[in-house]
Amino acid sequence: MELLFNLTLNGLATGMLIFLLAAGLTLIFGLMDVLNFAHGGLFAWGAYSGIWIYSTTGSFIIGILGAILTGFLLGIITEKWIIKPVYGNHVQQILITLGLMLVLSEMLKVIWGPNQLSANPPDYLQGSWEIGGMIIIKYRVFIIFVGFLVFAGVQYLLKNTKIGLVVRAGVMNKEMVQALGINIKKVFMFVFMIGSGMAALGGVLFGPYSGVIHAGMGMEFAILAFIVVVIGGMGNFTGSVMAAILVGLSGSFMAYYVPELSLAVNMLLMAVVLIVKPQGLFGGKG
Amino acid sequence: MKSMKWIVNNRLNTIYILIAAFLILLPFVYESRNMLILLTQIFVFAILAMSYDLLLGFTGIVSFGHAMFFGIGAYSIGIFMKRFEPTMLHFIYAVGATILITAIVSFIVGLLTLRLKSHFYAMLTMALAGLFLVLAEKWRTLTFGNDGFTFRVPEVFIDRTNFYLICLAAMIATFMILKRFTNSPLGRVLQAIRENEQRTESLGYQVLHYKIAASVVSGVLAGIAGIFYAMSLRYVNTSVFAMDITLDALLMTIIGGVGTLVGAIIGAGLIEFAHDGLTELAKEHWIFERWIIFFGIIYILVVIFFPLGIVGTLKNFTWRRKKQHPVKKKENLAG
Amino acid sequence: MSVLLKLNNIETFIGQYHILQGVSLEVKKGEVTVLLGRNGAGKTTTLRTIMALNPASKGSVVFRDQEIQNLPTYTIAQRGIGYVPEDQGIFAGLTVEENMKVAMQKDNEETHKRLDYILNLFPDLKKFWKKPGGLLSGGQKQMLSIARAYVNENELLLIDEPSKGLAPIVVEKVMESILQMKEQTTIVLVEQNFMMASTIGDCFYIIDDGRTVSNGTMKQLKEDEEMKRKYLGIA
Repeated sequence: MELLFNLTLNGLATGMLIFLLAAGLTLIFGLMDVLNFAHGGLFAWGAYSGIWIYSTTGSFIIGILGAILTGFLLGIITEKWIIKPVYGNHVQQILITLGLMLVLSEMLKVIWGPNQLSANPPDYLQGSWEIGGMIIIKYRVFIIFVGFLVFAGVQYLLKNTKIGLVVRAGVMNKEMVQALGINIKKVFMFVFMIGSGMAALGGVLFGPYSGVIHAGMGMEFAILAFIVVVIGGMGNFTGSVMAAILVGLSGSFMAYYVPELSLAVNMLLMAVVLIVKPQGLFGGKG
Repeated sequence: MKSMKWIVNNRLNTIYILIAAFLILLPFVYESRNMLILLTQIFVFAILAMSYDLLLGFTGIVSFGHAMFFGIGAYSIGIFMKRFEPTMLHFIYAVGATILITAIVSFIVGLLTLRLKSHFYAMLTMALAGLFLVLAEKWRTLTFGNDGFTFRVPEVFIDRTNFYLICLAAMIATFMILKRFTNSPLGRVLQAIRENEQRTESLGYQVLHYKIAASVVSGVLAGIAGIFYAMSLRYVNTSVFAMDITLDALLMTIIGGVGTLVGAIIGAGLIEFAHDGLTELAKEHWIFERWIIFFGIIYILVVIFFPLGIVGTLKNFTWRRKKQHPVKKKENLAG
Repeated sequence: MSVLLKLNNIETFIGQYHILQGVSLEVKKGEVTVLLGRNGAGKTTTLRTIMALNPASKGSVVFRDQEIQNLPTYTIAQRGIGYVPEDQGIFAGLTVEENMKVAMQKDNEETHKRLDYILNLFPDLKKFWKKPGGLLSGGQKQMLSIARAYVNENELLLIDEPSKGLAPIVVEKVMESILQMKEQTTIVLVEQNFMMASTIGDCFYIIDDGRTVSNGTMKQLKEDEEMKRKYLGIA
């Protein structure tokens, strides 16, 4: 019972981290038709910058805010100088974002050195609670909480604000949004920024969760995020959270029972989705 | 017009033959073990890059997991040579196994994703390559995990000069096969797909079949490149499945020039020479240890400003001088 | 009457296809100008070129005495041109309310007045206010699309084949509403349904093979059997 509970909690926490990465990916794709292969790089940058600020200032909160800010800034730069020049050409876009991924990962090594850095949760998030004989690790609960908060926040933004409406409308019909007098390029920039910020937040939360961060983590998580985006439906925000939890849970349980197959099971899931329902389990715009 | 083209082609062919002759004679006149090894490496990667070019340049498919096929080839030969006697027979078995596995994998990937938008293929190949990497790490009884293993090779391949010539021959053969292939009716359909998939479809071609065919041929050739790579090192470890290999193939193809085949060879030469030079420079200053960063930046600039690469840009330039129709920028990289 | 919109020798390419090869027309303020012509003649592209959705490669588009052909689509819309595309361009996953909200550029009294007016004109929209746009009937979608274009203080509406695919009774309803809106705005209408075109239209342009080949008042066209047969296939 305790095992099941902890595996579930672990899966949910991992799922939330993947969600933070996948949500931006899916929104950017939905609106701009750009699949950003550099998104994992923003995740890693969030981790490094956030953990660095955290260890210099001693405040985890400032570290998190710093990471999000880094994500925003990198997002803006990426959109402006990397994505915009090749807008509308799919192949060039795919190629260029991968190039950016390369540069981002290597830059991390230039700035912070090629070795992995360690990271620990702040005092108030260390340790665990014991409820009814079950041990609950605080930091995992914290990640789930933050993930849920972000999900609720973005959901609110999408449902109840004008810009959120425009984003949803843009996913469905970009041309018409412009014909109604809205500058979609500004919306692109905004969404790219938010998506990058979420990825960076995921990165910095991941640091104390795993204990160490390294430059290759961006790529590893990006692959999971791609799987999530395919399963959840490209461009489908709510789909991405469901799929992320699914992938997180399956990863957590498989890692315990049949560790060799944990990535394989997720891949298999993705392959099945591609065959049966390429628009994703929860619908999307393929 | 036709005679003109023939003259141009003829001159080009003469240049190719001269270069080939030069490369064949090189080991007999210039004895440098390092140079020999470097050139061998270039030939091997040229095969990989050309196989990549068939996808990206000629069909407009982006693969981010080409290392997977390369790695399958490398591990096939390694396992056969290690488990059994390093004889020609087992070499042939290894080649057979490589062809079989790469063909099956590329066929399945193609079947799953090529009817969808281009990023699905990129995504699935990337994820699958990650899976193979994990497989190679975890299946220790077969792969010895991360450390990898050394193995012996059949006698013919032991001598460095011999091996150099064999790799050169393999590269030339690949070049000629792909040249033939891309100029064949099938290859023309592939290029039509790259330029306008819907139009090709509406002309009655089963676009999916052609794309899968390109995917399979490319996968098999990348596997062959992997075989030669592992044999040149007589050692194989999980790095053959790493993203770096895919990135190398990408860089070589993009920088050399997509859709030209020669570009892939030139790209392979440039990148391998640069690797070599930058590794030397790394002893002088640590920043050169991170040479990938330079490649990355150059790569991004090339994609934005010279999407045709070196060969494509040159071609465009000379054509314009002759006041003929330049290759349109869009056409070579159109999605 | 003053000229609100003027197209001077517009040429437009879509990909490599030369779709418009010389479209010139004038739209007078307060009138309904109908674009007629065969399928594929370039009527829809003409509207899309005005909105810069398919930008012109040659020629000029003058709206309220200013050239707009080089402006981005959203600026053109902001300057006061509303667009109702052939496929209506409804945001299927958004409710009727949300569709309208996306369209409302300003949140002032005037816009709300216009919203009230148009909802009175199309009571169905009010009835299905919270229903996703994708679940509306074809006629309701058409109404929603027109309402979206109307709700801003647009001086000009471009409406592309509002009768397409609708039942005759619904066509009549849409037609009536356009007739009402005509009192307040200038309209360019692409219409194949000659009954509708001739009832609403004040003047016409015929586009054939990407060129404007003929124009005049609707009255002239009704009497010109030769022209109707030649370009419109009506005997």
